[in-house]
Amino acid sequence: MSDDLPDKFDLIVIGTGFPESCVAAAASRIGKTVLHIDPNEYYGGVWASFNLESFCALLEQGGNKELRNASQKWHVAETLKVAEAESDTVAGETNIKTDAAKQNVLDWSRETLLQQSRRFNLDLSPKILYSAGRLVQLLVSSNICRYAEFRAVDHVCTRFQNNIINVPCSRSDVFNTKDLNIVEKRLLMKFLTLCMTYGEDKTDEDALQFRGKTFREYLQEQKVTEKISICVMQAIAMCNDDTSFEEGMARTQQFLNSLGRYGNTPFLFPMYGCGEIPQCFCRLCAVFGGIYCLKRQIDDINIEADTNIASVVLEGKTIKAQHVVSAPGHLPNAFLQRNVGVYGQAELVNSLSRGIFLSATPLGSEELNSGGGGVNLLRLLAGTQEAILIQLSHFSGTCPKGVFLFHITTTAQSDQPAQDLAPFVSQVFNPDDENAPKLLYSAYFTIMGRERTSATPNVDVSTTIFCTSTPYYELDYDKSIISAREIFAKLYADAEFLPRAPDPEEIVIEGEDPRALSENSLPDDLREQLRELENSAENMDIEDTDAAQAGECTQEDAETQNMDAD
Amino acid sequence: MEDYKFLFKIVLVGNAGVGKTCLVRRFTQGLFPPGQGATIGVDFMIKTVEVEGEKIKLQIWDTAGQERFRSITQSYYRSAHALILVYDISCQPTFDCLPDWLREIQEYANSKVLKILVGNKTDRDDREIPTQIGEEFAKQHDMYFLETSAKEAENVERLFYEIAAELIDQARSKDGTNVNKTTADAIGLGNFGTKATQNSCCSGFSSNTSQTNCENGNSRSNT
Repeated sequence: MSDDLPDKFDLIVIGTGFPESCVAAAASRIGKTVLHIDPNEYYGGVWASFNLESFCALLEQGGNKELRNASQKWHVAETLKVAEAESDTVAGETNIKTDAAKQNVLDWSRETLLQQSRRFNLDLSPKILYSAGRLVQLLVSSNICRYAEFRAVDHVCTRFQNNIINVPCSRSDVFNTKDLNIVEKRLLMKFLTLCMTYGEDKTDEDALQFRGKTFREYLQEQKVTEKISICVMQAIAMCNDDTSFEEGMARTQQFLNSLGRYGNTPFLFPMYGCGEIPQCFCRLCAVFGGIYCLKRQIDDINIEADTNIASVVLEGKTIKAQHVVSAPGHLPNAFLQRNVGVYGQAELVNSLSRGIFLSATPLGSEELNSGGGGVNLLRLLAGTQEAILIQLSHFSGTCPKGVFLFHITTTAQSDQPAQDLAPFVSQVFNPDDENAPKLLYSAYFTIMGRERTSATPNVDVSTTIFCTSTPYYELDYDKSIISAREIFAKLYADAEFLPRAPDPEEIVIEGEDPRALSENSLPDDLREQLRELENSAENMDIEDTDAAQAGECTQEDAETQNMDAD
Repeated sequence: MEDYKFLFKIVLVGNAGVGKTCLVRRFTQGLFPPGQGATIGVDFMIKTVEVEGEKIKLQIWDTAGQERFRSITQSYYRSAHALILVYDISCQPTFDCLPDWLREIQEYANSKVLKILVGNKTDRDDREIPTQIGEEFAKQHDMYFLETSAKEAENVERLFYEIAAELIDQARSKDGTNVNKTTADAIGLGNFGTKATQNSCCSGFSSNTSQTNCENGNSRSNT
């Protein structure tokens, strides 16, 4: 089949993970010819989502180059019949409450879970998006958002005195929550309002006073209670004791800026899992002419000494390209052995220890799981280590109804992910705690990380081969986007990164609209004019909505004030 | 806001060269694009039709060439209301691939998606697959069946109007405007402004939420 391929491209991208797909889409969007290949038969690489069956199979075979140290365990019987027989033998010695919990567990067996395999979308690298974060902005500005749907995260939680409590996100949340008393509510509101306006006044005394101090010290100075301090530190600013004042403030503002856009919390989760995100970028690349081939092995890459042009040997066929961008794990061994300079090539550091857990019951109170289960976010601490826990229910399209999916991610301390995660897992899935979710299935693995260190040799920028980054330990995609943009900027210095793709509505049905179809082929000055026109048109729209929303605001404000009075 | 009662997403699949793009363009634009070559930058086509007195917006998605090496993204199949599987009646291999396509559809598409098998290019006089064979295959796999010619505009209107009519019936029998209940809560980022206004837009702490809201919409025009 490789024979049908053209033998020359501007860019060959190897691997369909998030950063590779970003670069591929951006290059295709500005009119470059792109061949995008993946040695796997699925999209996404270490950014992919799997159904339950394929996920188990992947772990069974011991993972791959980028996913290692895999282990999995079923905590339920093979089939329901076996489970019933087992339960008979222990009947009579348990109280009513654990009976009920057991009943939930007994609804499932390995067989019944696997029967629903298709309903699972298990992420290797799960992420949560800030509603006003870098990825959401990029999806909107590039129009790639049309390929994805999202679920608003229902609750942001934190652990306080061994309980999981809801961190109030919106103004009405603060007034409605039962977890805070009236004094705490006022303190929290006052503090957050302070953060919101922070930075507007350049001569702000706090800014000067707390420069060089930690965010924790700042919080202490504000005389908030311990509960509020925990809410702010763990869930809102997501910082540690040594996070600087400026950083903590910036994160608090990021949280607050993302509020009130889509759901009740500032966060979004992609419907059907994060594996959808790279695919959306691939679709855009394809729409602009990018060619896609999954399940293709790369034998070798050669670089012509005088022209710097790369010859990629793809299952026996040689294809030439100006540049090659590859996921770190996909560069062929034959090539690596020749020690050619690769931009972005890095050491094996900053891996992620991952855990995936299935349960028949959700984490936390009923309030946190109203309507059949929440999509909830919980940051966990253990000593100096932290982990991110994401609870997903069937509302996110990643598991069947009646099953809850938990992702826990922490930075790897060892090559034993189960050991790295144990201090966090014991906080939420303690088998001695009656209220803790009873596990149906658990799996552990390591996502191998590569980052440049001081030991990494500097590579000449005129190189032909570029290596993308692996998933970072971060909630959102910010660092990954930055590194993808960096590669794009090295490839095409002055080109725009993912300008807005035209809407289908802009394509006039009667006769062709030359603008929509050939925006790329227009001379630069005409494109510029077109853009200016669009800009002014859009600004007009914005003013309208602005006014409409301002009206809404006053009404809502009045309502919340009433609530306050109550 | 545009005036329509329902919006349906229809996706096309099938081997390269069976005439998927031609079917879409014949229906939406009333033309038969001469020559081959992918339409760069065109993602999906939209046509508003009136069926049973209701205005229906059809969003028709093409494969963007990803079918060429069997590399269609799963996300392409998500939230589709109807799926048109196309083969070329004058090309046996395109018919032989149908079971492969069905496997992929079963894997990724909603199990309740409306499926239509279409034998295209009835204008060709070198037919290799008799109508009856196509009909039987469709019956076996619980699909509707139609033969079309994008070139002669035969049965193309009928294909899409029948899909629209069937989808309206489905939607009405479920007693609501949301055909796909599971994704009713799903959020699209495109309708940023409208969503934010309808929902508790100003529940944020900031008094200038509306302003920050718009920054995002604005960012698309930043160059």
